[in-house]
Amino acid sequence: MESVLEPISAVTIRSLAISGAATLLASSWSVPAAVLAGRPGSRAGSTLVMVMESLVGVPTVLIGLLLYLLLSKSGPLGFLGLLYTPAAISIGEAILITPLIIAGAARAVEAAGKGVWLLAETLGAPPTRSASLVIRETLPLIAGAIAMGFSRAIGEIGIALIVGGSIKGYTRTLTTSIALATSMGLYETAIKLGVILALLSIGVGASARLVLERWRSA
Amino acid sequence: MPSRMPGIALTILAALLLMIAASWAPLRESGTIVRAATTTSLYQTGLLDALASAYRSWEPSVTIHFLPVGSGEALERAARGDACVVFVHAPSLEKEYIGKGAITMHRIIAFNYFVILGPPNDPAGVREARDPIDAFKRIYMAGERGEAVFVSRGDNSGTHVRELMLWSRAGLDPRGKPWYRETGQGMAETLVVASEMGAYTLSDIGTYLRLSKEGRIPGLTILYDGGSELINIYSVYLASPCGGAERRAAESLISFVSGPLGQEIIARFGVDKYGRPLFYKAEGNLTWLEEEWEKLAGGG
Repeated sequence: MESVLEPISAVTIRSLAISGAATLLASSWSVPAAVLAGRPGSRAGSTLVMVMESLVGVPTVLIGLLLYLLLSKSGPLGFLGLLYTPAAISIGEAILITPLIIAGAARAVEAAGKGVWLLAETLGAPPTRSASLVIRETLPLIAGAIAMGFSRAIGEIGIALIVGGSIKGYTRTLTTSIALATSMGLYETAIKLGVILALLSIGVGASARLVLERWRSA
Repeated sequence: MPSRMPGIALTILAALLLMIAASWAPLRESGTIVRAATTTSLYQTGLLDALASAYRSWEPSVTIHFLPVGSGEALERAARGDACVVFVHAPSLEKEYIGKGAITMHRIIAFNYFVILGPPNDPAGVREARDPIDAFKRIYMAGERGEAVFVSRGDNSGTHVRELMLWSRAGLDPRGKPWYRETGQGMAETLVVASEMGAYTLSDIGTYLRLSKEGRIPGLTILYDGGSELINIYSVYLASPCGGAERRAAESLISFVSGPLGQEIIARFGVDKYGRPLFYKAEGNLTWLEEEWEKLAGGG
């Protein structure tokens, strides 16, 4: 029924904003963590990467449920009033993709940045300068890890459904719309939404890489 | 790493600002938000959106946020204080939560009937059944003869619970029979499956009319409609933990929905689209509806 479902464009923009904010948030702590963890000879770093790698597949519904219990009015963080807001979804998705970004970016830094790091340190560069050089050199790979995180965030449904509530015009995302349309038997709408979701995932990943390759070779 | 700190802090700040802006934008423009948990099937009919938009033209400062979830989940969220209003149609579950003091201000707002659907040639003879129990007995016998298949939701939804109640009232247990198939899915998916298989099934009237109008379930037609065993009673409640401005708005919403204006919308809903109403209003029927509600709530 038309009145129940929202226009596809509104849902798409909302999904982009929510998962974009989540990716930004997750990157802000994951990239520095990955650069430090990927430093050659860092024991704590490789342990962190190992733990993060094992958490990459954590079920989205589990994070959704735990976050719901935290944010519920009768939970410890209920006073924040974040439940059933887009921010709640962004926070949950940021937690979800943190292991993915850290693991992916740290591997890249380890593999490609090792030489850079050693060189910078031999030349006596301060750690901050070495780190920024490493980031510069491995940026396309780090961007790849971030784009992967975005894909996972925008494609997940457990968190969006449980802490977002799929409220029309407010917290309904592409994935929760697909679920709603499917359960209503509106398969064509569901497929349209699915195609948009896939295109967004592919598009963001590809353009992030392209732009950065350009930027680095320029 | 002092020199990169500002950059990181800026990113975090930007992300936080974006999120805060996103979560507060609708709040600012609209005053009070009432969170209403509801069962997905009721939400999907569009009735609640119709009621909400009528209520808004009456009380523009209030926005209603519907949370479409399962029956049990809707009540649980209300009990935890995460929704202020609940729209449900599961009397036995409702009674449990009334008992716990989690929900109050019970108003029956509407009712309709589940329908027994099946193939137009009706090999089991459901059309000739005396009552829904007899209809289920006929399906069982036809199933045993290898002439009929029954598709069940199998997902513990309100419709599934009612179906199991009908089998048990008929003194039969079809589970495990080769002609009894459980989909474990929503009503629409289950109807599509039943239509493909030329099977019998139990459905709410709203989902059946919608899919039937779209031409998705040519293999199904209404074979039995009505009878107190098939009655479906919709109620609204106020969540006890809810307070403040949201509670006042919720109380006024509940009065609106159970009052003459809301009742008129309920009675008219769907007539223009399907040529028949999807719901009957509770107004004027409350005495016998309350009796039926008690019967269903008692698990009888």
